[in-house]
Amino acid sequence: MQGELTLIDVNRSFGGRPALVDVGFTVRPGRMTGFVGANGAGKTTTMRIVLGVLAADSGRVELGGRELTLDVRRRFGYMPEERGLYPKMTLVDQLVYLGRVHGLDAPTARRRTAELLEQLGLADRARDLLQTLSLGNQQRVQVAAALVHDPVLLVLDEPFSGLDPLAVDAMAAHLRARADAGVPVLFSSHQLELVERVCDDIVIIHRGRVVASGPADQVRAERAGRRMRVVVEPGTDDAGVLPSEPEGAPTGVASFLEQVPGVSLHRQDGRAVVVELAEGADDQALLAEAQRHGRVREFAPVVPTLAEIFREVVR
Amino acid sequence: MSRDVADPLSPWTAVRVVAGREIFVKLRDKAFIGSTVFMLLLVTAATVIPVLLSQQTPEHRVAVQGDAAADVVALAAQLGHEAQDPENEVPPALALLGAGGLPAADLSVVDVEPGADLERLVRDGDVAAAVTGDDVGSLQVLGGESVPYEVDVLVRAAASQVQVEQAAEEAGLTAQEVASLTSPEPPALRLLDERPEGSVPPELLVLAFAFLFYLSVLTFGMSIAQSVVEEKQSRVVELLVAALPVRWLLAGKVLGNTVMAVGQIVVVVGAGLIGASLAGEGELLGQVLRASGWFVVFFLLGFVMLACLWAGAGALASRVEDLQSTTVFMQVLVVVPFFAAIFAIDPGPTQRALSYIPFTAPLLMPARVVLGNAQPWEPWLAAAVVLATALLFVALGARLYRGSVLHTSSRLRAVQAWRADRTRA
Repeated sequence: MQGELTLIDVNRSFGGRPALVDVGFTVRPGRMTGFVGANGAGKTTTMRIVLGVLAADSGRVELGGRELTLDVRRRFGYMPEERGLYPKMTLVDQLVYLGRVHGLDAPTARRRTAELLEQLGLADRARDLLQTLSLGNQQRVQVAAALVHDPVLLVLDEPFSGLDPLAVDAMAAHLRARADAGVPVLFSSHQLELVERVCDDIVIIHRGRVVASGPADQVRAERAGRRMRVVVEPGTDDAGVLPSEPEGAPTGVASFLEQVPGVSLHRQDGRAVVVELAEGADDQALLAEAQRHGRVREFAPVVPTLAEIFREVVR
Repeated sequence: MSRDVADPLSPWTAVRVVAGREIFVKLRDKAFIGSTVFMLLLVTAATVIPVLLSQQTPEHRVAVQGDAAADVVALAAQLGHEAQDPENEVPPALALLGAGGLPAADLSVVDVEPGADLERLVRDGDVAAAVTGDDVGSLQVLGGESVPYEVDVLVRAAASQVQVEQAAEEAGLTAQEVASLTSPEPPALRLLDERPEGSVPPELLVLAFAFLFYLSVLTFGMSIAQSVVEEKQSRVVELLVAALPVRWLLAGKVLGNTVMAVGQIVVVVGAGLIGASLAGEGELLGQVLRASGWFVVFFLLGFVMLACLWAGAGALASRVEDLQSTTVFMQVLVVVPFFAAIFAIDPGPTQRALSYIPFTAPLLMPARVVLGNAQPWEPWLAAAVVLATALLFVALGARLYRGSVLHTSSRLRAVQAWRADRTRA
């Protein structure tokens, strides 16, 4: 029911040093958007601007096409990078308090707190002080704090950091449930494999600029296509040539493929050959050449992993 | 997805919620409960013990040898007995000090035969003192290390009364003339500018109020600073700032702590007053209530004025350990005016000037009202000055708070915080 979160040309500098330059991307309802960037790339600054904790120098942040107001922002759920709740308050007291700060009335805040603690398996610890809980459980309370007011948007700064694999799965499931309920979810991480596994959309930020954004598979596909992976089972005349050659020099089939116009060898790994196609190069000619040297077992564009794209774009 | 929180949060609700947490946390804080209980005990002791003491009439045995001595000590015993009369207009607390009347005491007379060893009696402590003599003009009072105060005063008074009566009788005066001689009519007193009198001197009341204000601002100021830095240190502040404008957060903290400060004072002063009236000092209650009007006004204004600065000072720290250094300035700002006000307790141009300076006004202007040397318009003007300063400080404190509240990594200087105020559009 609520719209998508859109950032438009957001700029922010600290002491004359630009931290964000014309940052713009969209977080769609019902989808989990991974926000990826190196340390200091501007992830936290962007999130703080979305939450209104920091002001942008220029640019706009909109939800459903409308500029954010405090009353809308109050209904966002937020997990700051620097975690923290009141160590000396009981779980139930602080969740009710945070719910009320986010605009719930007292009975609703109490009801939601009870529900969440139940869901997170913390119902029996409700009256305990936060500081008496294990770190993992404190992290779960932190999730509850972001969810207690039934947010219309979730913004989570490094929600997976410091979690063990089981807790990562649980966290991912929580976020997925919120997304499935129609809430746009934006989360940052530098665990790229994890992001790749969990997210639907991706935004890559580098030195304050968005360098790629969109559905994760589309972002990857856009960077595929120029590379082909070819696996040829050699014919009898080529038998024995490939594996025994010294590393480095193109060998066997690879040396033939390299002869196709516009094709250059990228890397070779046993029988698998990865070649780079120049603009306008004919992949069918490449296929035909491969078939002349044996049975083609694999012939496909290489879809790079997120980690590969990331390394490429931030280089 | 159905939503049941569509109503926007009103500022007042938000401030109340924040204030509610401050109060809630404070009420569960063992240190706070402990200090309140301690103050209660202190106040109860301070009001009840003197009253109990003053109600205890000292008893003394006095040895007597000779006719004149017997007459005088008998009269002294009578005077000491009369002084215990509750109808006596001098309050017992002051009677204890001997101000304005004779001390109350139970003197019992021990007749001693001539030739008995008086010195031994006194030395052994059988009697408090011995009075000897057949002639009222040459009586002798024998004591050990000293003569008890009550015995001394009562015997002197009785001796002079007996002598005056004898002299009058020899001069052939009538009973009425004797009475006018022994208890002469005092001159009628007419005051042009009467100071309100009560059962405690107004100066003492002023000091008590000043001390309460000082103590309150210091404890609860520190508590505001602590609450701010705890939220900073635990990082929870970022969640709060995302949901509430910083000034609402600040207002809630100040409100909560003001309520607690006023509440604590009401409880402590109330306990003292109840104790006093139970102990028979009901008049004190009226006196304090009459004097408290302007004190309350100035207390609130002065407290809020400083509270926001305390919050700013708290926000400059990044850990509780830094608080000592970031709040030093605030402590000076409370302690120096307190002592200035105490030294300027006597009416004069200094007091007049200081009663308009925002930091000392909350202490001195109500004091001047109670001491009766302020024109009716003066407290209004001073209140306006304090209010204006309070508004200024609220803005200053809020800006320091805003500028530093998200800077969690290290201690800030005030100037940095002032410049960094760009958290929210």
